[in-house]
Amino acid sequence: MGHRWDFSSVLANTDALLVGAIGTLHIFAICLVLGLSLGLVVGLGRYSRNGWFYFPATAFVEFFRNTPVLVQILWFYFALPILLPFEISPLAAASLGISLNSAAFSAEIYRGGIQSIEPGQWDGARALGMRWGQVMRRIVLPQAIKRMLPALTNRAIEIFKMTTLASAVAYVELLQQGKLIASLNFNPIEAYTAIAVIFFICLWPLVQLSYLLERRLRRDE
Amino acid sequence: MYRWDFSPVVANADLLVAGLLNTLKITGTALVFGVALGLVLALLRLSQQRLASWPAGFVIEVFRTTPPLVQLFWFFFALPLIVGIEMTPFMAAAVTFSIQSAAFFAEVFRAGIVSIERGQWEGARAIGMTRSQTLQRIVLPQAVKRMIPAFMERAIELMKTTTLVATISYADLLFAANEIAQKTFRPLETFTVVALIYFVVIFAVSLIARQIERRLAVSGESTVH
Repeated sequence: MGHRWDFSSVLANTDALLVGAIGTLHIFAICLVLGLSLGLVVGLGRYSRNGWFYFPATAFVEFFRNTPVLVQILWFYFALPILLPFEISPLAAASLGISLNSAAFSAEIYRGGIQSIEPGQWDGARALGMRWGQVMRRIVLPQAIKRMLPALTNRAIEIFKMTTLASAVAYVELLQQGKLIASLNFNPIEAYTAIAVIFFICLWPLVQLSYLLERRLRRDE
Repeated sequence: MYRWDFSPVVANADLLVAGLLNTLKITGTALVFGVALGLVLALLRLSQQRLASWPAGFVIEVFRTTPPLVQLFWFFFALPLIVGIEMTPFMAAAVTFSIQSAAFFAEVFRAGIVSIERGQWEGARAIGMTRSQTLQRIVLPQAVKRMIPAFMERAIELMKTTTLVATISYADLLFAANEIAQKTFRPLETFTVVALIYFVVIFAVSLIARQIERRLAVSGESTVH
């Protein structure tokens, strides 16, 4: 007890934190786009009645949902390069792990959302002469997206939190910079507290947004 | 073409077994404390007293909205300096994952408790039960049944999250993988085997969870998420 908090050594390293923040946002953006778009493809595969789409998509989802992300990241970083003729950067390894993991989780959100649309919508659109792709794009997905929005927002929050795992392969992001500041200034208390506060401040509005979306959805339905 | 050779990994099977046991140990510890503390947090959060519900809500929000790895580093590197006691990696991990999963379990408990119809509370009051008697004898037994799927899902998430302990050198399964990969120069085989071990264990638990969920659905029981 009796520790005297002194954040000046953290504030003196604002530039290092800024570099970390940019790194975090960089990998977050990559994984968000890759994860959610690949998730839609896999989700459609899971929804398909054609075994050639259904089984690979299901195997993908089961594998990536039932193994830890950190194991996936380390596999891409240490194991995959053995099979490839080139090196894998920390950013590439972490992005691959987080994106594929998020794709597997968001695939189930997409599938659930699409399945929640009443069959009558399909029948009606087909009766108007629309093809499968048209029905999906113009009728089903626009309605399903609304129902999926709270879950997808939660996924985005999870992705943001997962980006810290990139520090395990020494990718320069916020937590990695926190480690650096702590070891150079011998101030782990302030350094890690500052990192925790930064993440809380970034994520809290997103969490509130997801609550708001959930409430609105419940009210509308 | 790369020639796969699993024999160096098989030769280190003892490290893998020890690692898996440590993974189960930290998961089990955090699960027990997490559930117990989660129930306490949920009850505090549902309390009419602001002085109880507000701090509980704060703890739940903080631990749900910050990354687990940041929490782990904070409890391992920062907390021991503040309170002046040494923390082993196991202690730090147990504290972090207990509180973290408690925050998630609290929300599961809360959803389960509020899902029980008001009539149940009123009925219990009418026959003279106190609030805590109603909770213990009427509400929780019904709520727990509805919470089982969400509860199992959290337990699976917890087991996956425990891999983070490898970063503070607790000898779990992932840490063993790192060690074997470095020792044998066979990262491909080692990490593949370890990924498969995780998959087998976690997938088995997932299948059991789905089976239970299906049985609950058949019996017409509603569930919370």
